[in-house]
Amino acid sequence: MKRQHHIHLLPGDVGETVFLPGDVSRARVIADHFDSAELVASNRQYNTFTGMFQGVKVSVTSTGIGGAAAAIAIEELVKVGAKNFIRIGTGGMFQTWLPIPGVLVITGAIRGDGLTREYFPPEYPAIADLDIVEGMLATASELGIEVHTGLEWSHDAYYAGSIDSKLDILAIEKPWIDAGALIASQEASTVFTISMARRCRGGVILASAGHHQNPGVSATDEEMVKAISDATKIALGTAVKLHELDHGK
Amino acid sequence: MSHEEHRLHHLDMITGEAAPTVLIPGDPGRVKIFAELMDEAHQVAHKREYLTYTGTKDGVPISCTSTGIGPSPTAIGVEELIRIGTKNIIRIGTCGAIQPFLKPGEMIIATGAIRGERASEEFIHVDYPALADYRIVRALIDACERLGVPYHKGLVRTHDAFYLESPWAMGDYKARLQKWIDLDVLAVENESSAIFVIAGMQGVRAGTVLLSGYPIFEEHGEDPNLEENIKKLVNVGIEAAKILHERGLD
Repeated sequence: MKRQHHIHLLPGDVGETVFLPGDVSRARVIADHFDSAELVASNRQYNTFTGMFQGVKVSVTSTGIGGAAAAIAIEELVKVGAKNFIRIGTGGMFQTWLPIPGVLVITGAIRGDGLTREYFPPEYPAIADLDIVEGMLATASELGIEVHTGLEWSHDAYYAGSIDSKLDILAIEKPWIDAGALIASQEASTVFTISMARRCRGGVILASAGHHQNPGVSATDEEMVKAISDATKIALGTAVKLHELDHGK
Repeated sequence: MSHEEHRLHHLDMITGEAAPTVLIPGDPGRVKIFAELMDEAHQVAHKREYLTYTGTKDGVPISCTSTGIGPSPTAIGVEELIRIGTKNIIRIGTCGAIQPFLKPGEMIIATGAIRGERASEEFIHVDYPALADYRIVRALIDACERLGVPYHKGLVRTHDAFYLESPWAMGDYKARLQKWIDLDVLAVENESSAIFVIAGMQGVRAGTVLLSGYPIFEEHGEDPNLEENIKKLVNVGIEAAKILHERGLD
């Protein structure tokens, strides 16, 4: 089999669970949490490390920003044997009762993106896998990490729907804020729906530095490093639980 | 200053008359089946298609309210149940199974619904997902396992027009359904997406368990054990309510 077109991977190069950060440099940060890891491929923004964590083979592939690039990574990872996709990312929070920094387990996504419209009719729901949501909540509880569950608004245009936008973002986001959605980010709708269509598991855990309502208040860099590390530890514990569900202890 | 609470416009109930967990069939006749399967239950309201019984099973209070056919009366029923403090809403209903591997008497537990109806769009844009609450999905799975009832978990398609996607439909209903079969949808029905959107927007837990008949493109006709299987369906709902109670979710 030829190497996959974008991710440059072959069957056997990845574990059944693959973590998906958007940020290229974060792939290494996440791999540093494994018990062992080596770089198995690097092409464009797609860097993949594979290693072991508590006896389970796991991988991390950076996807770059947005649903378009994430969908390419997932489609190609399925072809080389991946079954569980867990995005570890960041976003801007909608609900002011959420702590700063926040660690959020995403249960479903508002499909504000373009990629998933090409695949699915608009009324099709973007749902996180039940085993992943439960695995994340159980791991967070075991590690004593506070997490909150709810919806992500997945959208395409960072400079329209973020604190760096020149537009009235609170007006744009009002329906989602009023409906109780937790956070704006970009990839959950893609991760959930492509995973569903390929009969795989998809999940998302996010760390966030602040609220869209209070752009002047932000977690420190050190606090965000810890929040992303906490999210990574939760994702790793979840990978072990998925392995136990599929293959026994 | 105190105000007397008005009875709900359609459900004709006030706070306290329904239990924290309410099962919602479409058919008022199934509320009577619910009442017979409880340790005790009494009628608390009846207006239009909305019939409510409240009772207890193994010490757990549970209610059952029929909401009629389709998203319009169901949206009213769900909204009014939330207004009197309902915590968990579980649809127990029938459906058209559309995958060939589904067998009569099996339960279909919805993880989410395709929003092919219009009522929920009056509340929020179609980008918003019709998501079953994961705790109710788990309670329904555990209920089926406790009762030894076979089940499948996955997507359902909710839509408005029964006579476009059923064996009694006009024209080529199989062609209309192929798109949903290809998307791994398990069944078509008329209520779940409205329930999930309205409950989800207000932070109330909701879920759906459906009774599978024969896949609707096969020529088997009616399930000969329908009556018995409907009792199983209602029992799955009752058991799920008990599980939610055990988990402190009511």
